[in-house]
Amino acid sequence: MRGKDVRLDKVAIRFGGTTAVQPTDLAIEAGEFFSILGPSGCGKTTLLRTISGFIEPSDGRVLIGGEDMAGKGPNERPTALIFQNLALFPLMSVAENVAFGLEARGVRKRQRLARAEELLALVALEGYGGKMPSDLSGGQRQRVAIARALAVEPSVLLLDEPLSALDLKLRQHMRAELRAIQKRVGITFIYITHDQGEALTMSDRVAVMSRGRIEQVASADSIYADPATPFVSTFVGEQNVFPGTVVSANANEAVVETPVGKVSGRPKGALAPGAPVLVMVRPERLALDGRRENSFPARLAERHLEGASVNLVFEAKERRILAVVPNGPAARDLPEEMTLSFGRSDAMVYPEGPLANG
Amino acid sequence: MGSLARAYGRPLAALIIGITVLWILALIVVPLGAMVEQSLWWKESAGETSLTIDRLYNDIATLQLDRDSATDTEKQAALDAEIVAKQAQATELEASEKNPRKIYGLANFTRMSELHIYIFVRTIFYALLVTLLALVVCYPLAYAVALASGPRKTVVLTVALIVPYAINELLRVYAWLMILDYRGVINGVLGWLGVVDLDNRGWIPFLENPSAVFVAMIYTYVLFMVFPMVNTLETLDRNQIEAARDLGATSWRIHRRVIIPHAKPGIAVGCIMTFMLSAGSYSVPQIMTRGQGGDWFSQLVYRQFYESNNWNMGSAYAVSLLVVCTLFILLMMRLFGVGLRDIAK
Repeated sequence: MRGKDVRLDKVAIRFGGTTAVQPTDLAIEAGEFFSILGPSGCGKTTLLRTISGFIEPSDGRVLIGGEDMAGKGPNERPTALIFQNLALFPLMSVAENVAFGLEARGVRKRQRLARAEELLALVALEGYGGKMPSDLSGGQRQRVAIARALAVEPSVLLLDEPLSALDLKLRQHMRAELRAIQKRVGITFIYITHDQGEALTMSDRVAVMSRGRIEQVASADSIYADPATPFVSTFVGEQNVFPGTVVSANANEAVVETPVGKVSGRPKGALAPGAPVLVMVRPERLALDGRRENSFPARLAERHLEGASVNLVFEAKERRILAVVPNGPAARDLPEEMTLSFGRSDAMVYPEGPLANG
Repeated sequence: MGSLARAYGRPLAALIIGITVLWILALIVVPLGAMVEQSLWWKESAGETSLTIDRLYNDIATLQLDRDSATDTEKQAALDAEIVAKQAQATELEASEKNPRKIYGLANFTRMSELHIYIFVRTIFYALLVTLLALVVCYPLAYAVALASGPRKTVVLTVALIVPYAINELLRVYAWLMILDYRGVINGVLGWLGVVDLDNRGWIPFLENPSAVFVAMIYTYVLFMVFPMVNTLETLDRNQIEAARDLGATSWRIHRRVIIPHAKPGIAVGCIMTFMLSAGSYSVPQIMTRGQGGDWFSQLVYRQFYESNNWNMGSAYAVSLLVVCTLFILLMMRLFGVGLRDIAK
């Protein structure tokens, strides 16, 4: 099996009067594990169904392996889709399920069942061919769905939140499993999820989507460390948000007047003095002393022990501020009144824009 | 029974059991029992008795003649005694002729004539054909109502299906009669187009053909086929259809491997209902054929009851039809691999 690249060329999707996906360009490399992350209703499933051929784009082109997919149905594309509810055929045995794609291609029964057994071995389900899907556990069904999709030797595997129905432990296990299977078969995986944990742990690259628009495409590390927009910044991980106005700004540094005083940070985008901005600082970047560039007084309100780390909720100028510190002697017996600080490089200054969760 | 009382309390449990028993009695045991009992006996044939009585009176008349012409008193006395004996025998027979003896046995079932057996087999065959045709007509319809359209279209289609059923069944059958009659709608249109010559009786005799009955029956029973199918099809996860398509299956294969297997219980229920209804239908063949397209067995049963006035034979015919239909249904269920449990769903 060989992966193919997927290219979206100004793809827009409209249903009646509403636009589900704004004109979008996207290039997914061959053999890549690519996630599309976004809240429900952001258009990510629509985008996936467009790539798989269930929806024709209203505008633009979908190219898979350089070939224009216009007018090709889902059964004519080199893609296979794994549904959110898996959609296994309940009246067929596991082996028949896996072999269904081959059956549709006219492969002889003996051959296709042999191939099904190989694929079941690939997903660690040897000997389960004779069982019915209803006899399997959630994780096993998941793997049957993967085997069934791989049976048609797709160049691109599309996954529509397939882990969302599993419990937490199994979900974490299946993440590693999916990643391993992708490495083994080497084809392109496009994974849709609203769970940032899934996107960050599995993917080579992540696209963050909001309101029918792709906000940022980058590696998981850069998405977290260097989010491009206020939405990405607040959707992926936690952020402390300080609204303010620009005092002065150049390419490397912006000084902003905020409720907790004047702070400086890295500008994300062009900023003019007087413009409304959002300053964002990750909770783990806050220091419990006044030694960094930007410092302000705060009162400790709550302390939540998470195990390896401790979440501290402060109040400063009637704003709630979250700090995450490693568990240890330094995180115990803290005074109520403290000074917090963060470095200039820890703060990102964005032109005002929509945040995740309102 | 104990668990029922615990769950609902004694009065409610008693009510539930009472209603169930009443239901079983009123709908199953009493009507079926009466029919089966009726079919298992017959009155001793009166014809034979009447003949014997006639012979006795003949004998008596002859003896009377002999007696009148006899001169010997001894001989007269002997003939008198014989006349009295014959008279007594005749009187006794006359009493039993008015109130014949009831005899239990299976004779009602074994006495069916060859022609009636032929009609019986043909009726089963026709009912099967109707069921098959109805299935072919209804599957796409059920599929369209349940899966292929949006929720608004589904409502429109469902209403369109139900509306004809607001009209009395007889009227619906007569409507088809008017459509297919010699000077009916179709022949009228064909005559107007110049295809047939109505003035010289050159019409197409639709009604002399069993298919006229089939058409009317399918129209009459279409809903009993469609709705069970719609009900099961609606429970199909549409993702399964999409998954099959995504895996490269053609529409035909999706129907054969995914949709029809899922709809099997609904298809079975629809077929059973249509088969039972058409095998036992009286009004449709009666009205549509007007005696020109060959009898259906239900018409024979009717005639046994109301023309031959032989209720025992009629009951036996009805019971035979019921038994054969039931066996047939069980056979079909076995063939389709559908259990009672699936149907109950």
